[in-house]
Amino acid sequence: MIEVVKPGFFTLIQDAGRFGYQEFGMPISGALDLDSFRLANWLVGNSLKEAVLEVTLTGPVLKFYTDMSIGITGADMQPKLDNAPIEMYKTIPIRKGSVLSFGKLQSGCRAYVSFAGGFSLEKEMGSASTYTYAKLGGVKGRALRKGDTLPFLRNQGIGLKTVPEEFHIQPYRLLSVRIIEGPEASLFLNLELDKFYTNEYVVSSKSNRMGVRLEGVFIKSAPSSEMLSSGVVKGTIQVPSNGQPILLLADAQTTGGYPRIGNVIQADLSLIAQQKPGDRIRFRKISLEEAHSLAYDKEMALKKILEN
Amino acid sequence: MIKLIQPFGDAAILLTFGAEINTGTNNEIVNYVKALKNIDIQGVLEVIPAYVSITVQYDFLKISYKELSGQLQVLDVEKVFMKQSRIIEIPVCYDATLSIDMEEVVSYTGMTREEVINKHTSKDYLVYMLGFTPGFFYLGGIDPRLFCPRKDTPRLEIEAGSVGIAGTQTGVYSLGSPGGWQIIGKTPLSIFDKNRKEDVFLVNQGDTVQFYEISLEEFKQYHK
Repeated sequence: MIEVVKPGFFTLIQDAGRFGYQEFGMPISGALDLDSFRLANWLVGNSLKEAVLEVTLTGPVLKFYTDMSIGITGADMQPKLDNAPIEMYKTIPIRKGSVLSFGKLQSGCRAYVSFAGGFSLEKEMGSASTYTYAKLGGVKGRALRKGDTLPFLRNQGIGLKTVPEEFHIQPYRLLSVRIIEGPEASLFLNLELDKFYTNEYVVSSKSNRMGVRLEGVFIKSAPSSEMLSSGVVKGTIQVPSNGQPILLLADAQTTGGYPRIGNVIQADLSLIAQQKPGDRIRFRKISLEEAHSLAYDKEMALKKILEN
Repeated sequence: MIKLIQPFGDAAILLTFGAEINTGTNNEIVNYVKALKNIDIQGVLEVIPAYVSITVQYDFLKISYKELSGQLQVLDVEKVFMKQSRIIEIPVCYDATLSIDMEEVVSYTGMTREEVINKHTSKDYLVYMLGFTPGFFYLGGIDPRLFCPRKDTPRLEIEAGSVGIAGTQTGVYSLGSPGGWQIIGKTPLSIFDKNRKEDVFLVNQGDTVQFYEISLEEFKQYHK
C-alpha cells in the first residue's frame, strides 16, 4: 500500500484507456503520453496496459507501506527517494517505509510512475483510467488527495531494467508537430491555412486533458454553419469561431461541431502531452503514407525494447 | 449509401452519408454501425456515429487504410434486419423551480408556459446521435413554434437531468457540465449511470424518445 502524503497538482490513475464506449459519447481517456506510459510499465515487468500514476506539473509525496519496485518516465520532475535523487528510466527498488517525492519540473509536463504488480483497483466500464468529469475510474473518479491510500496487487521480485537513452522523451519548448489535413481543411481559405502552417502557437494555461488550447494568430474559421457535429479523435485540431485552434486529447468529447483543420499523426501524439502552458507548437502537413511509415518505424523501435 | 470515404488523421476513416439531418440518413447510419459490428473487421477499434457521418478508428498495424476503406465501401448492410426502434419514455418536471429558462422561452416564442410544455411533450423524437458528454443524446424535429436560440452566454454549470432546447434540437444533460441550451425542465432519471447493469446509457442512437410531464411531488418521489 502507499499513502498519499501530498497529492501534487493533478495526479491521476490512468491505464491504456476505456474502449468500446465512444459511440455513446464516452471519451477514451487513458495516459496522454502513451510512449512514456508503456516504458514505465515495462520497467517494472507489468502488462504494458497496467494502470500507473500520471503526474502533471508537480509531483506527489508518496509513502510506501510495502516493498515495491517502481519506474518513472516522461517529464523530469527531479524524483527523490527519502530525499536522495533517483534516476528516471530505471527500475527503482523501494523499501517499506520509504518516501517518494519530487522537486521542480525540469522539462516536459507529465511524468508516469509505475508500480510492479499494479494497483488493486476496481475497474469501471473496463478501465481504471480516471475520467474526472463523469467521476469514473481511479480513486472515486477524481485526482489523488492527501490521505488516499492505494492498495497493490502482490508483486514478485523483478529484475532491474534501464530504458536506453534514445527512448527518453525529449520535450521541446518549440515543438514541430506533423499533421494530416482534416476533413474541413478545404473549407478554409488558402490564406488562413498558410497562417496556420507558418505561425507558432502558444499552449494556453486553460489547457487540460480534454484539449490543448492554442493562442496565436487568428485563423478565420470555415463557416461552421456548413458543418454538422461529427466525430473527433485524439489529435484532432478544431478551429472555433474565435480563431484559436484547440488540439483535442484523450478526455475530449467524442463529437464536435467546429471545422477540423487537421489531425496530429500518431507518432507525434505523445510529445504533445509533454507541452506545458507557455510552450510553443508549430504544424507541418504530411501525407497519410508518410504518417504511417513514421508510426511504423517508431513502433518497431519501441517494440524492440518493450518485448524484452 | 456512403457518399464519401476519406482519411481522418492516420488512425481513423471518415464515412459521410449525406449533407443534412434526416430520418433516412439516421436509419442508414444506425444500420451501418450494426452491420459493421456484426462482421467485426480485424483492426477496427472504435466507431463514432453522428448526424451524417461515421468515424471508424483503426489500428494501421493490423489493417491498412486501403484495405479497410475498401471493406467499408462494400460492407453489406442489407443482411441486417431493420432494427426494432425502442421507445424511451422520459418523465420531465417543468416546475418553475427547475425550468430556469422558461420565462425566456415563453417570451421568445410568444407561447404560454402550458403551450410550451404541451408542444414539448406531444411529439416523438428520434435520437440522431450521442455525444457532448457520456450518454447525451441529440433529438431533432421539435415543433417549429418551440424554436429558441441558444443562450448568449453559456452557463458554467448545468445540472445532470436538465432538459434543454436550442434551435431545432432538444436534449437532456447527462452530466453536470457547462452548456448553452435553454433549460425548460428536469428529469429525475439518470441518463448516464455507471452502476446500471443493463444500460449504462439510457438512450441509444436510433431510439425514439417521448417526454411526459410529472409534478414536483412526483419528481421528488423519484429520489426517495
